[in-house]
Amino acid sequence: MSIQTLWDAPKRATVRVTELVAGLNPLVVNRLQEMGLEPGQLLECFGRGPFNGPMVVQIQDCVYTLEQHIAQQILITPQP
Amino acid sequence: MKKIVLVGKPNSGKSLLFNQLTGLRQKVANYPGVTVELKTGRFEQFELVDYPGAYSLSSLSRDEEIAVQKLQEAMQLPDTALVICNLDATRLESSLVFGLQVQALAKQQQKSVVFALNMADELQRFGHQLDTEALSKALGSPVFAISAKTLLGISEFRQAVLELAELAQPPIPSIDHGDEKALRALSRSLSRQFGISASIVLKNQNRIDAFMLNSVTGGLAFLLVMFLLFQSIFTLAAPLMDGVESGIAGLAQWVTGYIGEGRTSDFLNDAIFGGIGSFLVFVPQIMMLTLIIGLLEDSGYLARAALICHRPLSYFGLSGRSFIPYLSGHACAIPAIMAARTIESPRKRLITMMTIPLMACSARLPVYALLIAVLIPEQSYLGGLVNLQGIAFFGLYLMGIVIALLVSFMLSTFVIKDDAKSDMPFILELPNYRFPHWKPLVVRVLASAKSFVYRSGPVIFAVTVLIWLLGYFPTDAGGLQNSYLGQVGHFIEPIFSPLGLDWRYGVAILMSFLAREVFVGALGTLFGIDGADENIAGLAANIQADGLAFGTGFGLLLFYVVALQCVATVATIRAETGSNRIAVGLVIGYGLLAYLLAFLAANLL
Ligand SMILES: Nc1nc2c(ncn2[C@@H]2O[C@H](COP(=O)(O)OP(=O)(O)OP(=O)(O)O)[C@@H](O)[C@H]2O)c(=O)[nH]1
Ligand SMILES: [Mg+2]
Repeated sequence: MSIQTLWDAPKRATVRVTELVAGLNPLVVNRLQEMGLEPGQLLECFGRGPFNGPMVVQIQDCVYTLEQHIAQQILITPQP
Repeated sequence: MKKIVLVGKPNSGKSLLFNQLTGLRQKVANYPGVTVELKTGRFEQFELVDYPGAYSLSSLSRDEEIAVQKLQEAMQLPDTALVICNLDATRLESSLVFGLQVQALAKQQQKSVVFALNMADELQRFGHQLDTEALSKALGSPVFAISAKTLLGISEFRQAVLELAELAQPPIPSIDHGDEKALRALSRSLSRQFGISASIVLKNQNRIDAFMLNSVTGGLAFLLVMFLLFQSIFTLAAPLMDGVESGIAGLAQWVTGYIGEGRTSDFLNDAIFGGIGSFLVFVPQIMMLTLIIGLLEDSGYLARAALICHRPLSYFGLSGRSFIPYLSGHACAIPAIMAARTIESPRKRLITMMTIPLMACSARLPVYALLIAVLIPEQSYLGGLVNLQGIAFFGLYLMGIVIALLVSFMLSTFVIKDDAKSDMPFILELPNYRFPHWKPLVVRVLASAKSFVYRSGPVIFAVTVLIWLLGYFPTDAGGLQNSYLGQVGHFIEPIFSPLGLDWRYGVAILMSFLAREVFVGALGTLFGIDGADENIAGLAANIQADGLAFGTGFGLLLFYVVALQCVATVATIRAETGSNRIAVGLVIGYGLLAYLLAFLAANLL
């Protein structure tokens, strides 16, 4: 299965987090983990907002929007 | 007094619960980051403290930082009797992370915790039964399912909180939280066991978002919402304004007819009805603005709008989170500057705060409306749907925003060149769509009118009376031009003559540095004295009769779009940035720019 970043994840797809790329601010990594972005977790991906805007994803019971810079640091594999 | 602190995830209903327990009216709205400072109120014999929302004890934004820091302080105080940890019952997992962190901290400091599972009405609507007893066993602290909206379970909760807070030795949480990772896993497993399935809760929200965040329909919907917002402030309020205007005119006629000619009647006509009346006319517009912003805030759309704006705003050195402060800056700059605390990146927050004063706040409404009525003919197209004056209004709002964006761009490129990479990222939770809660909304709309009148009323009254006295006397000198005020006015006239304005406008402009809306009252009084026995029916008509060139009038509008003429705003900027230089620099910078634009318009148009 192919690994890609969350920024390029297909629209309306379930994806699994594989890794948070090293190099992000540790505070931000901590926050992402608390939001549920941990390796192995499933996400519901709704695609980018208007004007090529931030990514919209459902992580467990919340829908968040993540800017490009962050979404590109999250590696995922699409689920069938 | 003993304290009870109320903390929890953003947008989980803390402030609504606070309002229900204290009877106060803190701002409640449907987006994360409404409360940005601690608010206290009396709850029986205790002091209840409402905190800004936080996702975690390790904070990312200023409002979170305040919440966490103050919570840590409160935990060490012997006065803190109890911690209420508010959870969104429909989103257990995401609220439990912070909830468990708070509980662990409380355990460490030997404080007692109660969990309030707010929004239980929604659980009920979805037909989900939450076993509070089992959950409270698992958590080792009491749990209550409540609804701050429908008051479901509130009386038991109230009782229990009061009893717990009174105990000499309240129960300390008993569970072991483990490290950060174990805590996250615990929150996950508890929510799987007790919570409602996310797909049920998010079904509606996601369906609406499929439209609202679609790249085509979402963009169009956003533009339409913004256009309707600004257009309707003018169009919907117009009939009400006409009503108030003719009401005041009628009252003036009746009163002066009753008193008869003379000095008293002159005073009432010029200063009271002409001065204060011409400003009361704008109360309906302010109410309409509050209503529409309130509807948007309650609906949950604002978080989407912030998302949609993020990419465009980032070209100007701003964040999507700048959108909400910018929008609320159209009502008043002061709460808007406070709301900038939710902006994750310090530099974007600073730029946002520095440009908020350019948003057309409601104090400018009277000035805009008056000058538009003077300069723009009243004409409608498409069967009254589009109104020329309404479009002019929209244009002025837009102009404020465009100038703010340009200034932001300049600031971020040339002045504030901090390292952009160390900035905190834009991450925003999208709340559920909700129908507006009409009762608090009505209260808020009425309160906006009241506070506008109470805030500006005394200043305007004082100024109009002063202007009338100085402008009316000496009576034997021959009118306004030779009055005391006229003599002072001619002295300051050279400042304003490059803008094409005579001294009467000069006086009104200088007076409006007390508060912008004073401009209308002051001008109303001046034209009232001048216009001898003319009816005060409309200040706009009086100005038209007096003659105001388009370029000059437009320049005057530009002046009001840009100039920072509000002492309270400057004080707030000073407090929030901790810098005198920024505050004073903004007043001077915007003042010079305003003067320059007005000069160009008056001489080129
Ligand atoms: N259905 C329902 N809605 C609620 C309840 N409590 C609050 N709300 C709504 O939830 C939204 C957020 O409420 P607030 O009280 O502003 O939330 P908060 O926790 O103070 O939010 P922040 O100040 O941003 O941290 C508002 O739209 C409320 O009307 C509830 O019990 N049931
Ligand atoms: Mg609040």
